[in-house]
Amino acid sequence: MTHKTKAVLLLGIPTAYLVLLFILPIISLIVLSFWKTESYHLVYEWNIQNYVTVLTEGAYLTFLIRSIVVSVIVSVLATAIGWIAAYAIWTYGGRFRLLLALAFAVPFFTGEVLRVIALQGLLGPVGLINGTLMKWGFAPVRALMYSNVASGIGLFYLYLPIAVTVIYLSLLNLDRRLIDAAKIFGAGGFRSFIEITFPLNLVGTLIAFALCFIPCMSATLSPRFLGGPNGTLYGMAMAQQFGESGTWALGAAMGVILFLFSLLAVVLIASCLDLRRTGFTGFGRN
Amino acid sequence: MTISRLKRKATKGLLLLVLALTYVFLFLPLVHIGIAAFARNFTYPYPPLWTLETVANMFANNLYRTSLLNSFILGLGSAVIATVFSTIATFGLLRYAGRHVAKFVLLFMAPLFVAEVLLGISSSILGGFFLQIPGNLISAMLANSIHCFSFALLIMATQLYRYDWRLDEAAMVFGASPAQTFFEVTLPLIWPGLLSAFIISLILSFNNLEISFYLLGATPTLPSMAWGALRHGIKPELYALATVVNIVVFVILAVIFVLMKTGSVKFGYRPERESSIV
Repeated sequence: MTHKTKAVLLLGIPTAYLVLLFILPIISLIVLSFWKTESYHLVYEWNIQNYVTVLTEGAYLTFLIRSIVVSVIVSVLATAIGWIAAYAIWTYGGRFRLLLALAFAVPFFTGEVLRVIALQGLLGPVGLINGTLMKWGFAPVRALMYSNVASGIGLFYLYLPIAVTVIYLSLLNLDRRLIDAAKIFGAGGFRSFIEITFPLNLVGTLIAFALCFIPCMSATLSPRFLGGPNGTLYGMAMAQQFGESGTWALGAAMGVILFLFSLLAVVLIASCLDLRRTGFTGFGRN
Repeated sequence: MTISRLKRKATKGLLLLVLALTYVFLFLPLVHIGIAAFARNFTYPYPPLWTLETVANMFANNLYRTSLLNSFILGLGSAVIATVFSTIATFGLLRYAGRHVAKFVLLFMAPLFVAEVLLGISSSILGGFFLQIPGNLISAMLANSIHCFSFALLIMATQLYRYDWRLDEAAMVFGASPAQTFFEVTLPLIWPGLLSAFIISLILSFNNLEISFYLLGATPTLPSMAWGALRHGIKPELYALATVVNIVVFVILAVIFVLMKTGSVKFGYRPERESSIV
């Protein structure tokens, strides 16, 4: 086999796979968003009414803005805590590093539904925290009961492991000798972190942020069970169009808007990145 | 000297404290589920009234076994698909993409940046509306594998992008066939990357709800059963099932811990690579 055929095969097979199972579905979503649904039936009539509805009706805009605020706060916190946890494992983990990192994957074995319900059991009005407080004669913490704070805690809980894993993967690739070199030349621990460890892992940090932000924007479970009456988030409203309401076309339009929004967020994040400063020097050693 | 040592100790203490608190936070709901599974008063099991009834009920009910098995098949299937395609893609990207590498990275990583719900919904639109295929285990497997593919690629590419391809060339020069080169040189060197990609894919799709929900049709899996049960309130049997899975996972981790402690397995830990300056 020549170099060329190998290239076509090794890149063509995954490309075909993605086109079939990823690009085509997204295209069908876009097509559907330009049709309309009337009493649980699709009407094949091209129009942009769905987009007008989403972008002008107050409720959807509120959900979108609320989702953005919650997602930004949660993702910043998850990335920050994720950094501390990943850095602690990487620095002090010794030979148990892999095990400590694997422990972050354990919650994934319990379904998302069960974990959110368990959080409800911990945070809710009769949950462990408030239950204990009331038993001791204190007032329960209202912020934890069916509020945006509670749904934020739920989102943070669900996506923190992803942040830790991504930042840890990034740290694994960092050459420790660079830090040693900085220290030999007199840099303190803090300075070597700010000037070496952090910038060289910036790509990983941004990926971690994006991988928290995007699922937060589309979250359905946490706002539904922890968010309470004023906790509806965009993703939850979108999922409802495909479930109870049966307005698939409107839901598809909401999906397209969410997709465009994620794309915008990724482009924004990527544009403030200087690849050379982050230590990227190309792929492989040929 | 003592002040800087004190500072270092304080930093270490603080970082490890945050790490410990993170573990507590992550595992507290799992412990709650574990306690609730064995308690008669399972909605607020503090203090628990112990019972083994729910566990007995769970083992007696066939549906739980079926859904556990389905979840496992789903996870295994999409992990295999994702690992195979992402291995091919990693090789293609690192060796053959040349100046088009950025475009292919963008395409291959794109599924990560599309919300899971959207992946599920759009696949079900393609399958359900346009192709008229009712949802089943295979369609859920394929849709899950897309998301896992990008994750697996991320994991493998970050571990392999410093791989020295001259080793392969050396093997070829000395007369190894391409297959021989792959199985005797490349694979033994890259298997930790492959394995972690496989494990992460398995974990991600085993209990995935947001993609699978729209594609499973009537096939019960663990998360879809939990979702269905919500209408009447979660049954303690589901807690018991999750606890059984968690106990198995913890036993595996404990075995790894013991093996690492005694030094019989290292999992890529190389003391000579550790920092020599403290």
